[in-house]
Amino acid sequence: MNLTPSQWAALLPLLYPVIGGCLVALMSLDKDQATTKWIRAAMYGTALLAVGATFWYLTDLWTTGSQPTFFQLHMDRLAQFTGIFVVVAAALTILQGWDHFHQEGWVKGETLALLLFSVSGMILFAATTHFVALFLGLELFSIPLYALVGTVRARSESAEGGMKYFLTGAVASSCFLMGGVLIYGLSGTLDLAVAAPVLVAKGLGTDPLVLVGAALLLLGFLFKVSAVPFHQWTPDAYEASPHPIAGFMSVATKGVAFIALLRIFPGSLAPLGAVGVKMQAVMAVLAVATLVLGNLTALVQTNVKRMLAYSSISHAGYLMLGFVAGTPAAFNGVLFYLVIYLAMNMGAFGLLTAFGLVGEKTTFDDLRGLGWKRPAMGVSAAIIMLSLAGIPPMGGFYGKYMIFRELVATGHVGMAILGVLASLVSAYYYLRFLVALFLQSPGAEAERLASDRPAVHAPLAGASVLVCAAIVMAGGFLQAFLANGFARRALADGLGLLR
Amino acid sequence: MTWLNSHPLTFLVFAPTLIGFLIMALPHSLGRLSRMLGFMGALAVFVLSLAWLLGHGSTGATILVERAPWFTLVGLPVDYHLAVDGLNLWLVLLTTFLVPLTMLGTWNSLKDRIGTFAALFLLLETGMLGALMAQDLFFFYLFWEAMLIPMYFMIGVWGGDERRYAANKFFLYTLSGSLLWLVALLYLANKAGGFNPILMGQAATALPFGVQCWLFISFAVAFAIKVPLFPLHTWLPDAHVQAPTAGSVILAGVLLKLGGYGFLRFAIPIFPAAAMHYAKPLALLSVIAIVYGALVAMVQRDIKKLVAYSSVSHMGFVMLGLASFTVIGTQGAMLQMLNHGISTGALFLLVGMVYDRAHTRMIADFGGVAVKMPVFTAFFLIVTLSSIGLPLTNGFVGEFWILNGAFLSGFGWGRLYASLATSGVLLGAVYMLWMFKRVFWGPENKDPDSGTHHLHSDLNAREVAVLLPLVVLILWMGIHPRTFVAVSETPVVNLLREANAPPVRTFVLKPAVHQAPAAHEAGHEGHAAEPAAHEVHR
Repeated sequence: MNLTPSQWAALLPLLYPVIGGCLVALMSLDKDQATTKWIRAAMYGTALLAVGATFWYLTDLWTTGSQPTFFQLHMDRLAQFTGIFVVVAAALTILQGWDHFHQEGWVKGETLALLLFSVSGMILFAATTHFVALFLGLELFSIPLYALVGTVRARSESAEGGMKYFLTGAVASSCFLMGGVLIYGLSGTLDLAVAAPVLVAKGLGTDPLVLVGAALLLLGFLFKVSAVPFHQWTPDAYEASPHPIAGFMSVATKGVAFIALLRIFPGSLAPLGAVGVKMQAVMAVLAVATLVLGNLTALVQTNVKRMLAYSSISHAGYLMLGFVAGTPAAFNGVLFYLVIYLAMNMGAFGLLTAFGLVGEKTTFDDLRGLGWKRPAMGVSAAIIMLSLAGIPPMGGFYGKYMIFRELVATGHVGMAILGVLASLVSAYYYLRFLVALFLQSPGAEAERLASDRPAVHAPLAGASVLVCAAIVMAGGFLQAFLANGFARRALADGLGLLR
Repeated sequence: MTWLNSHPLTFLVFAPTLIGFLIMALPHSLGRLSRMLGFMGALAVFVLSLAWLLGHGSTGATILVERAPWFTLVGLPVDYHLAVDGLNLWLVLLTTFLVPLTMLGTWNSLKDRIGTFAALFLLLETGMLGALMAQDLFFFYLFWEAMLIPMYFMIGVWGGDERRYAANKFFLYTLSGSLLWLVALLYLANKAGGFNPILMGQAATALPFGVQCWLFISFAVAFAIKVPLFPLHTWLPDAHVQAPTAGSVILAGVLLKLGGYGFLRFAIPIFPAAAMHYAKPLALLSVIAIVYGALVAMVQRDIKKLVAYSSVSHMGFVMLGLASFTVIGTQGAMLQMLNHGISTGALFLLVGMVYDRAHTRMIADFGGVAVKMPVFTAFFLIVTLSSIGLPLTNGFVGEFWILNGAFLSGFGWGRLYASLATSGVLLGAVYMLWMFKRVFWGPENKDPDSGTHHLHSDLNAREVAVLLPLVVLILWMGIHPRTFVAVSETPVVNLLREANAPPVRTFVLKPAVHQAPAAHEAGHEGHAAEPAAHEVHR
């Protein structure tokens, strides 16, 4: 097989994680994997190496620019952006996973292997407009995640959450498939970027079947970003899954689904004017529902993981507002928001590991007074939570700022007002996290239990949280670099917007 | 040093943050060292601010300015633009003055995590100074919001029993105003192509008047929450009462001022027409705040809560002065902001001093304190009189000018509202003196559970050193207020001229018809529009 360098460039970001995943899977065949420290270290090391190699390769590609399309793979800057995004999330997940699975007493190599397969699928999903490749990517990243959610087999809730996620996910995937089939059937091409002009040429641009097909595709994406009303799986799946996996799902799944949505809908189906307009209307309605429901439900949660799940639903709402505005600058804002969101949510779930909350003990009460015991984690928590609430000068503010500004500029002032009200509501439940950490002292019984338990030792999770907090702060001060140098170039190269 | 010469304001704003981070990096066990470090740092910032900002004459021109493009996001440029001019000079100095003074005044009030407290205090100073100096609205917004974070933790961690409720209420209340304000800001920035207030003002005048009114309302609500103007004041008593002494002093001393300052710096210059349109409702709410705050203060049993409600009343005067749209009223508002910072700050410090000794703030727990703490009583009396507005103290000048301005203003409601507001001065004397009588005079409260019983020592040298500068300022501002308002005169006159404020009414003792046209001409110099108001009300 003779491939040119640019063809390798399209394939290698997908191959590195897969090779790493296979190696880890082989290592995990050893039955002593859970107890023998060096096997564990080798597994985690291999996984990190695979992720690191992908990262290094992608940043290298980034400096050279977009690659020519090979085999339906568009390894352009948008795909590279996605790759870097996913790989960073995966690296943070692996670091947090070392500590978390150790705390849970459930060390299995297959979690890492599945994670790496998922990474590969995500990069594929965001790097193509060909429907078969798209669907392949979707399944390649979803199926490992179904398994990962139910990975802690010792806990029945875990299996329940995994099953729930799998069943709903399977329905969403089949809807997605049906949507693609409809468009394929009418246009005769599987490449969605080609399908749109063909449909317009055939005079089928506003055909009801095309609209249904587009709507079903949209449903598939919205399920993955956990927008209302396709959000029901989110809290249960997050609660069931190990903390780092929940973080990875909340960040990478959502991010990749939004980027692929960007590539397919405004990017490829743009010639179908009616689809674009109708999609914007649907997005507007669902964004409102997502913001309202996500935020209000998050208010009443007592479990931190469920709160973070609803918070991630509401963040999907803010990101959808970017699609409602629908301008290139708004998409720039969406990508910037995703970068900060990666750091915020990986950090938030990492905090649970860093504070040593295991199993079901993830309520607000379990966090009481921990901010003072672990000052570095406490300060990071403050930065991350305030950023999630959108308080300047943290990076989260700028993401919202960019999206709201485009909403106002395109005349959606009402939506912008709704958005700020939603973030006002959200401030309350993020503050609750800080209230528990700093403003409340632990109850007497918690103190007694804490003195019985060994001290929490989570250096890698702690380090990953610090990295996340640093990225969040950097988002507040290097906002122009991140938004213009990184997100904007991805858009310019990938979709030809904002050149 | 060359960097310092060209960036003095950057240094003043961010030096406290640097020291704050340094303190945060120190271990908990070095709390006492951290406190000392924080105090020395704040003191150094105060000395430097005096050295760099004073002595530039009273021309009204900008004293120091730093401006550079910062970043452009989604097509809107944001400037790194700090400036000190006549409008904010004294507020900046008040801030840098109150921070070290408060640290010294509450030296032993807190027992745990004193290092972290000092660090948060310094971060708060950065927020306040930045908000006061920022001239770009986006930059201002950043500081305005960032300021909430340290204050939230100061109230929430070191506050009283209801501290969590009070801290959340403070945070969310303020955030609600400023988030809606952000939408208005984005709307206007979209029209103006940036966050420069001058460009925004030009863009605003081009908008339909109805839109201008909505935008002004969203600006006004954000600032009015901070002031706080009735009926948006309900967070204040909770925050003040629950906050530790240092938090209360800074809250009253500086944070509330930012509301009034925001009106003067941004809301009125950007929307002069809408501001004039809403002068009457603003003035009405101010009058209600004055009277209502005073009446509620009267029935309080907790001294700190009494002072908190007196803040509502005093800040109502500030808003009345601004709403009068006269030079003397606005200047009075400027002075009243300083007065309130000094007097109410001093009152909170004094209440904190007595609380540290007696561990109660209930008026009923005291009585005859004058016998036990004569020096303390003397200081408390001076500050009380200044708060009431006795001539020769600062309170008198500010309130007199404001009432004068409201009375003379060209608006039809001026005289009535000024008369109503005057009752607030009277009520102020009632609640302050009545509280003073119950706490300090009378026979000594011998009850072993009472507060008086636990007062074992009069003020020590540290506490006297804290209160003396405040008393000196109270008298100085009362005797020679021009020191503090000279620099703001030119900007205020310009502001009112650009706002087309109705000319002040002139009163002639004898009804002499032939003098009227002359007065008419004189009154109209520089005021092109609105002759009707003048004609009608003379």
